[in-house]
Amino acid sequence: MGSVMLINASPRAPRSNSRRYAELFIRAWPGESACFALTKTNHLELCGELEHYSDLLLVFPLYADGIPVTLLNFLKTLEEHPPRHRPTVSVLINCGFLEPGQNDVAVQMVELFCGQNGYPFGSVLKIGGGEAILDTPFRGLVRRKLRKLAGAISAGRHRSLQVTMPLPKRLFLRASTAYWTDMGRRGGVTREQMATMEIEGR
Amino acid sequence: MKLILSDRTLALPECGFDVEWIDLSQLDITNCVGCFGCWTRTPGKCVIRDDAVRVYPRIAESSQVMYISRIRYGGYDTPMKTMLERAIPIQQAFIRLVEGETHHVQRRVVPKRAVIIGYGARSDAERALFRRLVARNARNMNFERHRVVFAAEQDLEQIVREEVLAWEASC
Repeated sequence: MGSVMLINASPRAPRSNSRRYAELFIRAWPGESACFALTKTNHLELCGELEHYSDLLLVFPLYADGIPVTLLNFLKTLEEHPPRHRPTVSVLINCGFLEPGQNDVAVQMVELFCGQNGYPFGSVLKIGGGEAILDTPFRGLVRRKLRKLAGAISAGRHRSLQVTMPLPKRLFLRASTAYWTDMGRRGGVTREQMATMEIEGR
Repeated sequence: MKLILSDRTLALPECGFDVEWIDLSQLDITNCVGCFGCWTRTPGKCVIRDDAVRVYPRIAESSQVMYISRIRYGGYDTPMKTMLERAIPIQQAFIRLVEGETHHVQRRVVPKRAVIIGYGARSDAERALFRRLVARNARNMNFERHRVVFAAEQDLEQIVREEVLAWEASC
């Protein structure tokens, strides 16, 4: 059994869904692990820390159809400052859309980085409905897949897993509208205000 | 309106009155912090008041766009990716179906014809991934048609000039 370093590459790392997914993964991981939040200034520190782990798990949300720019910038630093022993790189990605397959391009970006830089590519868990799924009755589905992901990484197997809310799309649309409307209400903004067509007031 | 967004300074030919060129390398644009403020607190406006707030309205208004970016790991390199991430105020939080897939509702975003010019790709695999990325962008960024053009770095300026002249000729 190896040791895994998790990097939370969400732009809002301390209060992100990625943090919650990382915490659940650690609960399912049988060995040594540590989780680090990616910031603008700690890239070199994290490159050095990688020396101590057999596996790296990148945890991040889909951002504009790809990897978040915070993660892109870290990978560029890692390319310049590789560890002596390259860990196997796995991916735990979530998107707010229902279809986990919308994460595919972002996963392929990490896989391409690995191929270009000599890192073994490990396993993947793609989560759909990831903005809200942990606060629904479907959270158990996520936990189960996280255990499978942990098992695959621990065993050194390559697995591609995915999970989402098992809802018809129309029902998902209604549920997501209610979710976001509630988010707006907490900030004192109505659904109608959220649905404005204006951009910068025009 | 036509918009050229580039991640580096280029010598472009004289453009028509309705063409705006924005050189991202000359702007101060910080990373999106994922606060969702542009969806839930100040809808349609980013809470970070840097140069991005004058770029995303231009993206929304344009019927033709040309994005010019270095390719990194099959995607846009940092300047373009940072800007595209900061453009989410032009969408709503709410979700709709587009060709059977869930996507965000667009605010007042004009459907676009897009030319995406990528340079610096290291392999055919990277170029293929970039094409797949742009195909995803098409659904999320309201491209009604799009075309991907690859350029070697030393040929970039010439290729951009040819594309701009083709734009002008098509009007």
